[in-house]
Parts: sequence; C-alpha cells; structure tokens
Amino acid sequence: MNVIETSGLGKRYHRTWGLRDCTLSIPAGHIVALVGPNGAGKTTLLHCSVGLATPTTGRVSVLGRLAAGSLDALERVAFVAQDAPLHSHLSVAAMLDLSRDLNRRFDLCHAERRLRSLAIPLHRKVGKLSGGQHAQLALALALARHPDLLVLDEPLARLDPLARHDFLAHVMTAVAEEALSVVFSSHVISELERVADYLVVLSAGRVQMAGAIDELLARHRLLSGPAEQAGRIGELFPVVQAQNAGRRAELLVRAAGPAGPPSGWQASGVTLEELVLAYLRDPSVSALPGPSALPGPAAPPALPASTHHEVTP
Amino acid sequence: MTALTATATPAGRRHPVPWRSMARATWRQQRAALITLLAVSAALALAIVAGELAIRALYARYAAGCLVPQPTDPNCGAIANTFAASTNGFTALVIALHVLPVVIGVFIGAPLISRELESGTFRFTWTQEIGRTRYVLTTVTLLAVAVAAVTCALGALLGWYAHPFDVVGDESRWQAGLFDTTALTLPAWTLFALATGTLLGTLTGRIVTAMATTAATAGGFLVAAFWTLDRHLLSLGALPARASAAVGVFVGPLNTNAGRGFGPAGSWLVRGWITGPGGRELSAAMAGAVQNRMYAAMTRAGKKAADPAAWLSAHHYALWLSYQPAGRFWYFQAIAAAVLVALAIVFALTAVWLIRRRG
Repeated sequence: MNVIETSGLGKRYHRTWGLRDCTLSIPAGHIVALVGPNGAGKTTLLHCSVGLATPTTGRVSVLGRLAAGSLDALERVAFVAQDAPLHSHLSVAAMLDLSRDLNRRFDLCHAERRLRSLAIPLHRKVGKLSGGQHAQLALALALARHPDLLVLDEPLARLDPLARHDFLAHVMTAVAEEALSVVFSSHVISELERVADYLVVLSAGRVQMAGAIDELLARHRLLSGPAEQAGRIGELFPVVQAQNAGRRAELLVRAAGPAGPPSGWQASGVTLEELVLAYLRDPSVSALPGPSALPGPAAPPALPASTHHEVTP
Repeated sequence: MTALTATATPAGRRHPVPWRSMARATWRQQRAALITLLAVSAALALAIVAGELAIRALYARYAAGCLVPQPTDPNCGAIANTFAASTNGFTALVIALHVLPVVIGVFIGAPLISRELESGTFRFTWTQEIGRTRYVLTTVTLLAVAVAAVTCALGALLGWYAHPFDVVGDESRWQAGLFDTTALTLPAWTLFALATGTLLGTLTGRIVTAMATTAATAGGFLVAAFWTLDRHLLSLGALPARASAAVGVFVGPLNTNAGRGFGPAGSWLVRGWITGPGGRELSAAMAGAVQNRMYAAMTRAGKKAADPAAWLSAHHYALWLSYQPAGRFWYFQAIAAAVLVALAIVFALTAVWLIRRRG
C-alpha cells in the first residue's frame, strides 16, 4: 500500500505553479523525509495530501485509494501544519477537549500521559507554551488520533536542537509502538538520517529523487581521482556532481552494483547530506526509484551534468 | 492502545462526529463571545422589565378608566401625555435592540471564519476527522440557534413593554423602529447579520476587514429597512377604505398608525387620496387645490362649521386611504423574517461552499 500516491499532480496559485507534474508513490511503513529548498513545493504537496489544497492537475490519494481530504482519509490521516497552528487562547486541556470533540477516535489518556511526561502543564494557555512545548502538543494531538499516516510540515523549523531531538524521539517512539507511517518535510538535512528511512527530494515543483535511503546511498558513490580523467568517468557513470580540488576531481556518481572504481580512482560511500546537497545543487538531475517509479519526467541518467565535468587544467 | 472515546466502525459505515461533541467544541471556541452576548442581553432584558414595571400602574389605570366605551377617568388626556413623555427610555431600548444584530454579526459572525483563516488554525480544524464542511455547518448552525433564541426572547420582551405605548397611541408596532425588533424580526435580522459576517469573513480572510465590512453591510441594510424597505413592504396589498375626515384631510404617503378616530383601529395607514365627482383619484396638485379651497371655506364659515367631511361630500369629493388591517401584522412580520432568514441561509451556504472549494 502506498501512503501517498500522486500522478501528474500540479497546483497553481494564480500564475505560479507551486507543484508541477508530480508523480510519486510513497510506500507504507516508512518515516519519509521530504526535502527541498524553500519554494520547492513541499508544503503544497503535503497540503494536497491532507486535502487542504485542491490539485489543479492530476490526482492524489492516500492510504491506498482514499481520496485526499475525504472523510475516510481524514479519519486516518493526522496533519501538523507548519508552525503547528493551534488555538492560542485555549488552555492545553481545552485544546485536548476540542480535539476529542472533533474526532470520534481520540485517545485523551494517551495525549495527557504524553504531555505529563513532557512536563507540559495542562492548565497553561497554548499561546504561553515554549516553541518546543507547542510543537510537542501539536504532535501529541495528532498522535492521539492513532492515525495510520502522520503528516508533518516543517516540524523542526522553529525548534532549538534539544527540542528537535525530543520531538523526533517522540515521533520515533510512536512509530515503534504503532503501525504508523510518517511523512515530514524539512529543509534541515543534517538530522534526517537518524530518523528517516525514505527520502523524497523536491526541487522547483518537481520530484527530483525518491527512494529508500539505504538504497539511494548504495546506488551512489563518491569517486576521487585525477582531474584530467574526470571526463572519461563521466562517460562511464551518470555524474550527479563534480568538484575539483586542485588536480584531483571528486565526482558523485550513480553506480549500481558492486563494480569497483576505475584504476587510479578511489571510491567511497556518500552520506545522506552529501547526496541531498548534490542533487539540490543541480535541479536538472533526477533519480527516481526503479520499480515503483511511475511514468513521469524520469530524466535519462546519461551525462546529465555535462557542464560540471568540463575540466579546466 | 488505551481507552478510545469511540471505536472505529467498519469501513463504509461511518458514523459522523456527534452533534453534542460539536456543540461542546463550538461552546469552547465561542465561549467568550457567547458569555458577553448573554451578559449584554441580560442587561437589556433587565432594562426592559424595569421600564415596563415603571409604566405598569399608569397603564392599568388608563386601561381601566380610558379604554372603555365611556371613559370614566377625567385624566385620560393627562395620562396619555405622561405616556408620551416617558418614551425616552423606551426609544433608547429600541435603538439598542436595533444595534444588537449588527453587533452580533460583527463580533460573532465576522471573526468566525476569518480568525481561523488569519491565524492559520484552519489547517488544524479542517484536517480533523469531522471534516471542514460539517465543522463549519454545525458551528454556524449552533451559533445561529443560540443567537436566535436570545434575540427572540428580547424581541418578545420588548413587544410586551411596547404594548401599552401601542394602545395609548404614542408608538406603533408597525413603525419601522418597532417593526424590526419583534420576536420574529429581531432574530431574523440577527441571523442575517451573523450570516453576513460569516460570509464576509470567509471572503476577506481578515478579522478587522470582515468586521468593518459586516458593520457596513448589515448596518446599511438595517438603515435601508428603517428608511424605505419596511414602507415598501407594508404598502403591498393595502386595502382601500373611505375615510371620515373628522380630524383633517391627509393626502399622499401616510405611513402612520391609525389613531384618534382616523382609520380602522390598530391598522397601519399607507396612503391617502381624494376622489373627484366621477370617482377618479385627483392628482396631487388638484388634491392640494381642493384642500386649499376646503380650508378657505371652513375658515370663512368659522370654527363651528369646520367639518371637512361635510364640505367634501357637499362638493362630491371623497377622502380615501389605504391601510393594512391590524390582523395582517404578524403576516407581514412573517414575510420580513422569511426574507431575512432566506438571505441568511443563502449567505451561510455560500460561505460553506467557498470553504469547501477553498485550497
């Protein structure tokens, strides 16, 4: 089952496209990180998935074949929007009661226990909570609905490192306890690897890379060798990114299988951060997963970044 | 998993979030506004009751001594004058009840959706299990029931206070001021203002803009009703009647309550005109000329012979007026209320429709 499936999804706001021709299927059972620069369409994609935005083109469904935003989907999808908007004039307890009243399936004990363990006072006004407490409250409200899919839009953006850590720990505990899929967007890349096991990179309104993180890492190598041979390497492997450091070149290439590096070159694994940054630097490069990829703008991997490996001695 | 408030139902047979839950949710979010409304309404109700108690004894004396075929109380005129002098507090209350629907529209209707849109909390509420359509529909419906109940009670109270003035003849329930503040029209105006605020809040998405435009729109309609719309409504299907001209000749739009022997008791006089010897209605200019001749003749004849009716019939003229009989009062109330409630429903459904397709 795919927790989010889109085909040709596009969303136009007045004259500009927030998301364009997005074809994507995110399988269930993952913690999915949706990354991309500001304005890449992350929020638009998530809003389409939870029914807050209506697609201009294409389709989007969640949890199998449920129409995004339908009552059946809302019952099983919980969403925490960017900055976690909650009624700031209500107390935490009243916010819990409100959520209980708006959902048939709401586990009040679960949420209260969670908030107590975080030492968040129930009588305090929501508007008086710290940023970390506010985010935790929004998360607790979402998790108390026992969703099958939890969608979080930039949950880490406004949190300090400690709050970030606690928030992600909360998410991971919930995933460990329940069969829950999580999709969250972030432009913070450094902490993704610890929590996410599936990655979607959006750039300029299109899906640029999607796949399980360990597979993506296994399919990419960092090759370093003499700069004058970089062009030849570029003919052997699709180059995602090329960098020159004096007489040595460093190429991030897509290389499947265990084939060793060409003679004179050294191969090493890439970190997720290196991989994501390399793709984000060049939006024309894309890597979509093989079997689950749907027809779309799967750019051929051949020599995608010719300008990058023009070696000038 | 710990205790759930409800268990999941088999697929395809979904039970919606119950009304009681929604009522609690609405109360939780609108508590401040609703408590303020109740406090203001209670104060108005107290003022109405106090006002009524103050004139009660006087009215009882008037009813016993002056409302009988042969008045026994020699002071009927004085009592009527006292009544006329004590309408100040009453008028203030009528004005307050006129303003109340607009206030409700501005402070409850306008922020209802615009606050969610402006603060972004719609991203929370509209993604809960209840769904945005049902959420908005139930919230608006529950608030509508609450404000309609409160204003209906206030309108009924004001009608009770107004009754003595109506009987004595200082005020008429048909007048634009009282016509819009009865137990029917006051809640109807309130629903209209509430729906106007909800729609403008949905359209603008800004609290202050929504409040300002609601005040202008709902207030504008109310003023228009006060100045012209009510008169147009009350002229529909008015009955013609030959009038005795005992107290004078009135030609043109009357828009006044019948009183002091002029027109059927308790009715609303719409228009007066004079017909000539052929039974044809005289133009305004001719009617004016006839009146001038009549007054001149009567002045010549002296005060004792001043009987306009006799002069008119002697010259083959007749005075007519059109009126709405007293029995039609609640009929017209129902028409006005129905139009307002229909507009309110259209506005509210438009808001829901806009919210449904938003995104």
